[in-house]
Amino acid sequence: MKGDKRFSINKKSGALLKFLIGAFALLFFIAALNFFSSGLKNIFYTLNLPIQKTFWSAGETSAGFLTSFVISGSLNKDNQNLKNQIQQLQAQITSLQSVINGNQAQSNVSLACQNNGFKLLMAGVIGLDAEDMISINKGSADGILEGMPVINQQGALFGKIFKVYKNFSKVMLISNKNSVISVKVQQSETASAQGSGVTKEIDGVLKGSGQLGVYLDLVSIDDIINQGDILVTSALEGTFPKDLLVGTITKVQKNDQNPHQQAEVQPFLGQQIDNLFVILNYKK
Amino acid sequence: MWIKYIFIVLLFYLFSILQNSFFVHFSLFGAIPNLVFVFFFLLAFFEPKNNHYQIVFYAISAGLFLDFFSYTYFGVSIILLLLIGSAMKKIQAILHEKRDDRFPLLYFLPLFTISLIFYDLLLNVFLNKFNLAQIVSGFSISEIIYNLLFASVAFYVYKKFLGLRFDDRQLALFR
Repeated sequence: MKGDKRFSINKKSGALLKFLIGAFALLFFIAALNFFSSGLKNIFYTLNLPIQKTFWSAGETSAGFLTSFVISGSLNKDNQNLKNQIQQLQAQITSLQSVINGNQAQSNVSLACQNNGFKLLMAGVIGLDAEDMISINKGSADGILEGMPVINQQGALFGKIFKVYKNFSKVMLISNKNSVISVKVQQSETASAQGSGVTKEIDGVLKGSGQLGVYLDLVSIDDIINQGDILVTSALEGTFPKDLLVGTITKVQKNDQNPHQQAEVQPFLGQQIDNLFVILNYKK
Repeated sequence: MWIKYIFIVLLFYLFSILQNSFFVHFSLFGAIPNLVFVFFFLLAFFEPKNNHYQIVFYAISAGLFLDFFSYTYFGVSIILLLLIGSAMKKIQAILHEKRDDRFPLLYFLPLFTISLIFYDLLLNVFLNKFNLAQIVSGFSISEIIYNLLFASVAFYVYKKFLGLRFDDRQLALFR
């Protein structure tokens, strides 16, 4: 009887000892992984690059093929809507032509100051994770540093460099829940026409809500914002250059008990994101 | 025997690549399926209850690949999966003792949902720097539904093609 009890205690002690050794080994393993984190991730991404790129392209092609089936029913309607929009835009272009001509010289100077000063680095997208982070195939070896702004070829803001490895970088999208950027609301033409004609600059803050969603916050309750208004960066915080496209307001949410109003925003984070551009020389 | 482990690690690797590249283009309201988690849960669910070493092996392999693609610290997913795997085996043991249910999908789906919510919440704690509002807002119904869909399909595929390798005593629960 005594022997059985002793055997049981020994067995329990043995199991506890095994558990403690296992836990210690696991913690040591995790600590070692974190110590070599940057190097390991860089090697891992380098080895994965061809496979990931292949799967990325395959996914893009398959999704496009599938989408064409899904949306084929609404194509006619979309076509008609687009034709109407083209006509409206042509009318607007005609009326704005004289203004454009008048401002051309000034615009050129401004654009030269703003755009030509930027040194852009093209980077290929190789992955997107569930945490609204994109992996790109350029890293510190290409001159990328943390905090650099990332845009697409249309000049729309995608996010900023979050983590840099030797040959790869992680881009925190503006939809990441930790992303907060200051923006300006550019009022749509109809909204301006309804108002006094003077376009007021409205400041706000764009916050990421995850899963490629963003919302506008901290806009004063007295300011008038409307569906269709465009958001651009304001450069107040110094991370991003001013006037980069960010998104369009889709729904305004006002609450009398809240001194600020919010709005749902459709960001310009399209599905076709094969290549992005990192602004290398934007300084605070 | 060892070839099984290599095969499992390769599958975890393949799923981690797929969910970060291929399935990005098939997002449902922004949600992307977590194939590595689904596969880990499936392996752990069908594992005989006393085999804790297997659960540890699955958790380390799956967690490692999840952590490689995550921007948080290494080890977060490994520890979370270890907790989920262990807790699930305990719950499964209790369920098995209380009733002899022949419809394990009834166990599988709720357990999977609870585990996924637990994993998402705790991962969000690390990702969002302990910001409570962001942690709770990180919750997405679409993500749960999307993953449930994959998990249900994987459950039947696993049972159909790999279920036979279990001995009869274990099969009583999973049949």
